[in-house]
Amino acid sequence: MSFSVSDMIWAIINFLILLAILNKFLYKPLLTTMDNRMEQIKKDLYSAELAKKEAREIREEYTKQMEQAKAEAQQIIEKATKIGEETRENLINEAREETTKMTEKAREMIRLEKEEALNQLRDEVSTLVVMAAGKVIEKTIDQEAHEKLIREFIEEAGDAS
Amino acid sequence: MFATPVYAATTAEGAAEHGGALFTLFGWLEVTSVTTTTWGLMVVIAVVSYLATRRLEKIPTRRLQIFMEMCLGKLLDFLSGIMGDRDRAKRYFPVLASFFILILLSNYSGLLPGAGHVTGLQAPTSTWSVTIAFAVIVFFATHYYGIKAKGLGYFKHFTQPIIFLLPLNILEEFTKPLSLSLRLFGNIYGEEMVIAGLFSLLPLFLPVPMQLLSLLFGFIQAFVFTMLASIYIASATAGHH
Repeated sequence: MSFSVSDMIWAIINFLILLAILNKFLYKPLLTTMDNRMEQIKKDLYSAELAKKEAREIREEYTKQMEQAKAEAQQIIEKATKIGEETRENLINEAREETTKMTEKAREMIRLEKEEALNQLRDEVSTLVVMAAGKVIEKTIDQEAHEKLIREFIEEAGDAS
Repeated sequence: MFATPVYAATTAEGAAEHGGALFTLFGWLEVTSVTTTTWGLMVVIAVVSYLATRRLEKIPTRRLQIFMEMCLGKLLDFLSGIMGDRDRAKRYFPVLASFFILILLSNYSGLLPGAGHVTGLQAPTSTWSVTIAFAVIVFFATHYYGIKAKGLGYFKHFTQPIIFLLPLNILEEFTKPLSLSLRLFGNIYGEEMVIAGLFSLLPLFLPVPMQLLSLLFGFIQAFVFTMLASIYIASATAGHH
């Protein structure tokens, strides 16, 4: 085993030079990059966590709103159904009333028409009867007797009808 | 101009032995195979580092960046485990990581074909001159960081738990780098000697299992050196509870 001062001095010099080279070209740039990346990852993870939380909150809010909306819609539908049913019933009732009314009116009208027809018929018949009777008795009766006769006849005819 | 080529070790016995100067600077500073190998490793490390961080991406897609991030990340995690927290580990990371990288590659450079035989190629960690240099850096770094972290109060720990342990504590500070350097040097030098011996017996297949083991040992030694250095620094800079 030999010892050389020159080798030792060179080793020290070489090491110091190498230290400077490595520091400049390897450690500093690489470690800085790694640290920056770590920092970035930390930041990104944090913001991702934040975004996730926010998204969760929004989703919850949304779900709540959806449920609310659904309930509201259900309510509206029920209300509309009720209103519809009520309307239908009302319409039916109204129609029924209308029908009844119209029927009654029609009946009334028929009755009136019938009455009028009867009256007309009565007049016609009485005139005919008077003429026929005049011809049969061949004598003219005075106005008073005539009218009396007619009245009696009509009463008799009315009783008969 | 200052260069004076000398000789290179060529025999198996001389392979792991410290080679002679390839050339000399300023008339006294010798440049040996160990130093040229270190330079080669430095160039490789510098180029790879440059390529790895040339176009850094926030989301890495290039294998080199991913690989480097993985290695440095694991190293930083490991040092964080020793230092207690990541910020502290980051403060001492450059020195410790550089030790790990340089020692690991130095150890592995001894496994290159012709290492120790070819002029200019010899595992730097197979000489004590280099490992003691590393240990000396650890020694100074430890006390520098200790004083930086705790001021002059740093020297108080030499008198603890009781004052008359002071000489022993001081002695310990010198045995630490000694053991650190000798452990690394001894392991790598020993491996090389074994491989060289096996190589001289039967060059073809015999050294292969030992070389495979050396891959493991080279990593372990770099790991142990870095771990001990970080433990020394961690205890020197640790606050009192």
